[in-house]
Amino acid sequence: MSANFWTSSHYKHLLDQEDVDMVNPLDKERGVTLEDFKLIKMHMTNYILRLAQQVKVRQRVVATAVTYMRRVYTRKSMAEYDPRLVAPTCLYLASKAEESTVQARLLVFYIKKLYADDKYRYEIKDILEMEMKILEALDYYLVVFHPYRSLSQFLQDASLNDLSMTQLTWGVINDTYKMDLILVHPPHLIALACIYIASVFREKDTTAWFEELRVDMNVVKNISMEILDFYESNRMFTEDRINTALQKLTLRP
Amino acid sequence: MAELDPSKKVADRYLKREVLGEGTYGVVYKAIDTQTGQTVAIKKIRLGKQKEGVNFTALREIKLLKELKDPNIIELIDAFPHKGNLHLVFEFMETDLEAVIRDRNIFLSPGDIKSYLQMTLKGLAVCHKKWVLHRDMKPNNLLIGSNGQLKLADFGLARIFGSPDRRFTHQVFARWYRAPELLFGTKQYGAGVDVWAAACIFAELLLRRPFLQGSSDIDQLGKIFAAFGTPSPAQWPDMVYLPDYVEYQHVPAPPLRSLFPMASDDALDLLSKMFTYDPNARISVQQALEHRYVSREALPTVPEKLPRPAPKKESKASDVDSQDGPTVLSPPRKSRRIMPGRDGFEANSLQEDKFDDNAGNFRQTVADNTGKNGPAPMSLDFSLFGLKPPNRPTITSADRSHLKRKLDLEFSNQND
Repeated sequence: MSANFWTSSHYKHLLDQEDVDMVNPLDKERGVTLEDFKLIKMHMTNYILRLAQQVKVRQRVVATAVTYMRRVYTRKSMAEYDPRLVAPTCLYLASKAEESTVQARLLVFYIKKLYADDKYRYEIKDILEMEMKILEALDYYLVVFHPYRSLSQFLQDASLNDLSMTQLTWGVINDTYKMDLILVHPPHLIALACIYIASVFREKDTTAWFEELRVDMNVVKNISMEILDFYESNRMFTEDRINTALQKLTLRP
Repeated sequence: MAELDPSKKVADRYLKREVLGEGTYGVVYKAIDTQTGQTVAIKKIRLGKQKEGVNFTALREIKLLKELKDPNIIELIDAFPHKGNLHLVFEFMETDLEAVIRDRNIFLSPGDIKSYLQMTLKGLAVCHKKWVLHRDMKPNNLLIGSNGQLKLADFGLARIFGSPDRRFTHQVFARWYRAPELLFGTKQYGAGVDVWAAACIFAELLLRRPFLQGSSDIDQLGKIFAAFGTPSPAQWPDMVYLPDYVEYQHVPAPPLRSLFPMASDDALDLLSKMFTYDPNARISVQQALEHRYVSREALPTVPEKLPRPAPKKESKASDVDSQDGPTVLSPPRKSRRIMPGRDGFEANSLQEDKFDDNAGNFRQTVADNTGKNGPAPMSLDFSLFGLKPPNRPTITSADRSHLKRKLDLEFSNQND
């Protein structure tokens, strides 16, 4: 939650939910609904996560990669920018931007290992070409702030920094990347929402602590509700539905 | 899509001119931005081994420069792919601080030095506020624009800091600008490393030569200790715990005044605070900007009036009325602006640089002087000029008649 967030490009680029939820006209023509759009982005988040576990990078790199991917689709269509190429390329770019470079050939190796499906098969040169296009789509803005940094400070301040609370909130934050929260809200508010959820879940009384913070509790509660809604609907996201959604992208309008 | 479009872009927007040089990761050339009419410098980033995409160093620079917009930091105007290579468009900068320091035709007044230091510190302050360490501060990375503005450039080594336990490499900075903690191999360092380098640049502005010119890392520490004395554990408690710490033979510190005979007391005070051994006790950039040397006394020269090296050959037409105009006509020694001792009068007793014993140089020196009327030459390094300090402080009768001739000439010149 360092003071510099407020002067960062990340802060300036925060979007309204409506702008994030705009399905690109090219995708709409192919019958992609808002539901499909969210589903594909969620699936690609999982893809990035699985790939990241193979090549062993920090959570921060994953979070940055997912943010890049979600930013790209506020500007570009999935029809033109195949999510199955964009996802690994975002991880590749994020690994460089976060100073823990992963070699492109390593990614290609694990892509093959993870997905037998030919639709996922891309080679090094495809990734390098897409890297340039993604840089353009991001308008070369690469610095992203994440809730993790403020989390430990908050937990310590609220005397909630025991292992189980830390793990729970950390996990909830990881899950928020399956949604578009990072494009809409300042990261420290996302962290607070996750702490709020975790403390309610573990029946810890944090009312007094939250009251002392100079933040708009309504915003924190709204973010928390969004996260809970997501957990609710998450159960209905089946493999089949994802494949159907991805299938639409290949349809001629 | 992106493959077809950008080829137009270079032709459409940027008119390519001559190559300016070879950068760290590719060719840099001059161009005109047809959209704005602005002269720009375009860095073409080589896709090195072709296997690892956009160059890592270039990516770092892009990432940080997109966050750092300030009059004292080089502006990244645009970036675009062209024929598979990434191109970065920067504002075009005329020269750099190294060229200014090395140019013997340039005299730097205390106000000029202060101005260059202030702009350097302002640029650094913006970096540090955003938790960016520059890590490669040296005069030739401080570029100077046509309006005299100094801007920090070359962020290829820069990094975001702030995570308390993040470990960095100590192999940063050109050796002469490396802080002692880096030379002792620390991996956890902060903004102080940039402050030390800025202090070296400050010293270099005063001396007109690099201050601590070590030939190896060990020698560099030796040079530092010879200048400021071997640090005692009381001065720098953490020193002995640094990875590459070795004990040096104790040398006492000579008075700082003896190293910078011409600097003002305030300048020396700031210098000693920036050269503090213990990085935790070293002055911050923000504090340095508020130091009385910067904020009081002689005002820093406004950037437009700062002396800069003569433009290169390419623009002959403008040479005529340029301040450094006829320099080429006279032998280099004659064209120097300050010649204390030669005519036997004290350098600062009169507007000395107007007068020269060679009438042929007259026009040039007068023209030079219109550029600025700086205060006394505090930072003159006589050894550099190859001249002895003035030994005759008063004006002799011979000098007087000589001066009169000059003054007559000046008047007739003005009447033209």
